[in-house]
Amino acid sequence: MPAAQPRAKGELRLSSKRQADKSALDTLRQSGAYRALFPRSGDRALTSVFVNTAGGLTGGDRMSLSATAGHDSRLTLTSQAAERIYRAQSGTIARVTTDLTIETNARLDWLPQETILFDRSALKRRLNVTMAAGATFLAVEPVVFGRIAMGETLQDSLFHDDLRITRNEELIFADAIRLSGDVESQLAATAVANGARALAIVIYVAPDAEARLPALRALMPGTGGASLIRPDVLFARFLAPDSYLLRRDLIPVLELLHDGPLPKTWTL
Amino acid sequence: MHTDAVLTLAQWLSPAFPIGAFSYSHGLEWSVENGDVRDADTLCAWLSAVTKYGAGRNDLLLLAAAHRAQDTAELAEIDTLARALAPSKERLLETVQQGDAFVRTVSDVWLHDLPGLTLPVAVGAAAQAQRLPLDLTAQMFLQAFINSLVSAAIRLIPIGQTDGQKCIVALAPLCRRTAERALQQNLDDLGASCFLSDIASMKHETQYSRLFRS
Repeated sequence: MPAAQPRAKGELRLSSKRQADKSALDTLRQSGAYRALFPRSGDRALTSVFVNTAGGLTGGDRMSLSATAGHDSRLTLTSQAAERIYRAQSGTIARVTTDLTIETNARLDWLPQETILFDRSALKRRLNVTMAAGATFLAVEPVVFGRIAMGETLQDSLFHDDLRITRNEELIFADAIRLSGDVESQLAATAVANGARALAIVIYVAPDAEARLPALRALMPGTGGASLIRPDVLFARFLAPDSYLLRRDLIPVLELLHDGPLPKTWTL
Repeated sequence: MHTDAVLTLAQWLSPAFPIGAFSYSHGLEWSVENGDVRDADTLCAWLSAVTKYGAGRNDLLLLAAAHRAQDTAELAEIDTLARALAPSKERLLETVQQGDAFVRTVSDVWLHDLPGLTLPVAVGAAAQAQRLPLDLTAQMFLQAFINSLVSAAIRLIPIGQTDGQKCIVALAPLCRRTAERALQQNLDDLGASCFLSDIASMKHETQYSRLFRS
């Protein structure tokens, strides 16, 4: 049971480097519940699949991941499984921090699977992205509110999600989600989610972002929108009734914006 | 002094103040188009969520930070964050264009020296320069935001002026609570959940027939 689990801690640091016409692992350090796997791919990018060996998170857990796509290299990160955020002991919070650095002429794709929030879970999460000029970044962050198949809704939960993207030391994009307490009724509001229980953001920061807008718009569902906020910043929000339908909407979008075959974790 | 403050804020936050507030709908035009907002009740519910969980609350946090800013470097940092938080091209335009126009008029008339700023940051900074109290500025700013959206709604859906005014009155207690709470918080508390209003502003970019710029 979640309450009986020991508190998990995990730290993962890795970086990629350019090697001939491919990308290779440069440095790796892992401790606690975070582990990285490197499945072979015919891709030019280095793909790393990270695993939380604790099998989910609860209040008090701390996970920290930092990854660098070194100069001229390509790094794709995904998670082996959906991350489950279990019920937290009263007043405790799970914290997840991710720091991504993208050096000149490098590309990093952050493609984790869903984060599933159980009722009475408490999660504060922060994703910091530091980019060099001319670097490329793609990210997806899918979140599911409750174990929908079991009819679970979030009556009393906490979810704080912060994203900051800095390029050339200038903050170019920020997103901050705050949901707390009776999340279910908050999600019911028409300006919030109109009852949808799965959401995602997709962000693409790249020199060719503007050219991708028409194709991205054509893929957007009725409950999703995309906008070129600045000439090289493309942002999209998605809402869906559940994680399956969310994935169905996300996969073609990731296929459009990712520059190689999607990691095998991203299948329906 | 207090009367002076009320009169100055009433002027700054009046629909007649030349910032072009009448030309922005904050995505409401799309929410009307797709039927999410269709009458007084759905309008009030939409505005209530945007006040509590959306730009209403976030803008007050930004306004308050600007009012408390110690120097121009801190003000610039708050403004950069305000721009970065815009979820769509038109929402960025909405806050930047109105903020620039606000700063121009306040600088010309009241002789303050303010740079181009997003709207909540501009109002916070101008109120500090003019020594206007933060709590009153925040309350009146939020009400002006709601007034402006109600006025947009009246042009978009078949509800009358009276229903629009009733909606503003019904939201007054929420406005007061939201402002009071926001003033006890800081920029770490920034955050929203009005996903569908953000999506509406994105969809609005390609809406076929439009009255509004956002």
